[in-house]
Amino acid sequence: MKLQVVGCSHHETPIELREQLAFREAEVPGVLRQLRDRFPNSEAVLLSTCNRVELYVAGQDPQGSPGRDEVVQFLAEYHGLSAHDVFDDLFARSGIDAVRHLFTVAASLDSLVVGEAQILSQVKQAYELASRGDSTGPVTHAAFQAAIRAAKRVARETTIHERRVSVPSVAITDFASQIFERFDDKQVLVVGAGEMGSETLRYLVDQGAKDINVVNRDAERARKLAAQFGGRAVPWHMLLELLATADLVISTTGAAQPIVTLADFKKIQKRLNQRALCILDLAVPRDFDPDIGQGLGVYLYSIDDLKKTCQINRKAREREWPKAQRILEEETAQFMADLHHRATGPTIQRLKARANQLKDEEVTRLLKKLNNTDQQSHEEIQRSFDRLIKKLLHPPLESLRDEARKGTPHGLLDALKKLFQLKD
Amino acid sequence: MLSGVSIVCFAASYAVSLTLEVSQLFVKIGVRRPLTLGFAGAGLLVHTVYLALHPTEGGAPLSSWYHWCLAVAWVVAAVYLLLTLSRPQASLGIFLLPLVLSLLGLAHLFRGLPHFSNDQATGWWATLHGVALLLGTVVVFIGFSAGLMYLLQVYRLKQKRPPQKGLRLPSLEWLQRANESSLIVSSLFVGIGLVTGIALDLTKYQVDSIGQIWTDPVVWSSAVLLLWLIIALVFNAAYKPARQGRKIAYLTVASFVFLILALSMALLARHASDTTVPLTTAAETVSNTTAHTSWGYQDGSIPLRRLP
Repeated sequence: MKLQVVGCSHHETPIELREQLAFREAEVPGVLRQLRDRFPNSEAVLLSTCNRVELYVAGQDPQGSPGRDEVVQFLAEYHGLSAHDVFDDLFARSGIDAVRHLFTVAASLDSLVVGEAQILSQVKQAYELASRGDSTGPVTHAAFQAAIRAAKRVARETTIHERRVSVPSVAITDFASQIFERFDDKQVLVVGAGEMGSETLRYLVDQGAKDINVVNRDAERARKLAAQFGGRAVPWHMLLELLATADLVISTTGAAQPIVTLADFKKIQKRLNQRALCILDLAVPRDFDPDIGQGLGVYLYSIDDLKKTCQINRKAREREWPKAQRILEEETAQFMADLHHRATGPTIQRLKARANQLKDEEVTRLLKKLNNTDQQSHEEIQRSFDRLIKKLLHPPLESLRDEARKGTPHGLLDALKKLFQLKD
Repeated sequence: MLSGVSIVCFAASYAVSLTLEVSQLFVKIGVRRPLTLGFAGAGLLVHTVYLALHPTEGGAPLSSWYHWCLAVAWVVAAVYLLLTLSRPQASLGIFLLPLVLSLLGLAHLFRGLPHFSNDQATGWWATLHGVALLLGTVVVFIGFSAGLMYLLQVYRLKQKRPPQKGLRLPSLEWLQRANESSLIVSSLFVGIGLVTGIALDLTKYQVDSIGQIWTDPVVWSSAVLLLWLIIALVFNAAYKPARQGRKIAYLTVASFVFLILALSMALLARHASDTTVPLTTAAETVSNTTAHTSWGYQDGSIPLRRLP
């Protein structure tokens, strides 16, 4: 059995090349079909995301599975590139290293944002696409199912996934979601049209936010941002009016002075009736006077507050890292042992079949000789022979299992075949 | 075999569940959730079996302080299980299970107290009275937990701290709704409990006048609790900011304090006729003392007539 992976990721390959080597989801079934046509005895799964392109190939028979050069050639040809030009940019791992890599990717320990949950669903999707196209086989089935299990175990037993490390995700997950139960009935006010604001708004829209107002000094930019998220562009002079009715404010203007002073806020504070108002001030310098955050029901977070939390979360993740790696090492070792043990399956089956055949012949001969044995004696003889076979086969099978923990026990398998004259 | 079930069995189950809930503050255990739910579920099951096997010990349901505390603990534990199933991320057990264990502790403490009289503890009015006060107590308890969680969550958010590892609280919006609902529902139940209690005294024990009823500390302390709940409700409805944020959390926490006062009054009332009797030895020594149903008298006499 052989499993290898050839591909590139955000670690070493520049985005330009990753873009050239990437596959759209709709392309994947065709790519796998082409690979299967070229290497009929191989199994394959293609994982293509914005941060990585990885082609996993495997085969029961190592001879029938393509080697590194052939996979690189295939990938380069498909994209109309020269294999020679891309060879050094593509990494390759095989055997236990390939398994470890797959488990690490699925558990999100190899991701750009470690612990992000999206990669596991991408791995699952890649595996399902390959299975639907009949490109998977015993090795890839086992490897991907084990990878999904390992990733879930990491998520279950560590907190590596629970900690957000980007400003928008911290703002929404660690703060806004702790104030509001839902966002579909909340009024969101976006002040300015900065990139950080639009990214945070994307998170909010994913969480269900619908009622979005955008105010910006440049009305055109406000209109564009509002159109992008199905919101309304509102004139700048309406800012305080909207602030009085908003539940959540995202502010990202480039103003040199605060755009909402404490005095401005006091004008509308009474209308808030002390209800919760979450203000995410992502601007530098700040758009909201920090004293506004002292108000009852007002939760004001500046970019520094959010970055501080990102830092805390990043450190917390780092502390969880060794534990996650330990889990992946255990899962990898277990998977390899299972895989090697599986390789001994056909020989064990033949050995058992041979032993049972001999047993049946001997039992039949004995019963004929004894003649007129009752049913009870018949069954007792049968059980006795069964026990004998089991006891005889137990030591060699146990030795085989022990050896399989270290790798495929080729020597022992050959010895068994010769000793018991087992034919392939 | 089931006859061997004791209060220790389910108290231990709840305690293990609480330990597991607390342990998540320090260490992440993969099987923590199923274990926590398993122990709490097992505790609730044994608790149910215990209540079924020892429904009265000579009295009617809820016919002693002991049974009453056990029943309140059972409802709070059931609410904890339901809420944990519906909000798996929230650390609700840290707030609710100590209440369950405290109630079981109280039940153990009150075990020696005599039962309420059969005459008082049975009958439609008495059952309604007991159940309403029991549910009112449970809701105040839950509102108190929600109030504490709210104040803790506000403190964290104001301090701009990320959620603590292993201690995820529900959102402020959810907690605020829970606080508000608990005020309304508890007022309703305590109101029913008080009215049925007064009706019980007036109809069954032929109390001479309404005025006489108010001389009973149990009645007036319950009335004070109800009055407080109504004031909180009116304040909540009339003054809009009261519906928001910390104020409603303070109201529910204060309701809990009033409840404890009312319960203490009810307990102390049974000492009215014999103040020298220690609480734990009451069963042995008190044969003619008086105590109130649910929050009240324990023998067959008509207590209100004895009061000045």
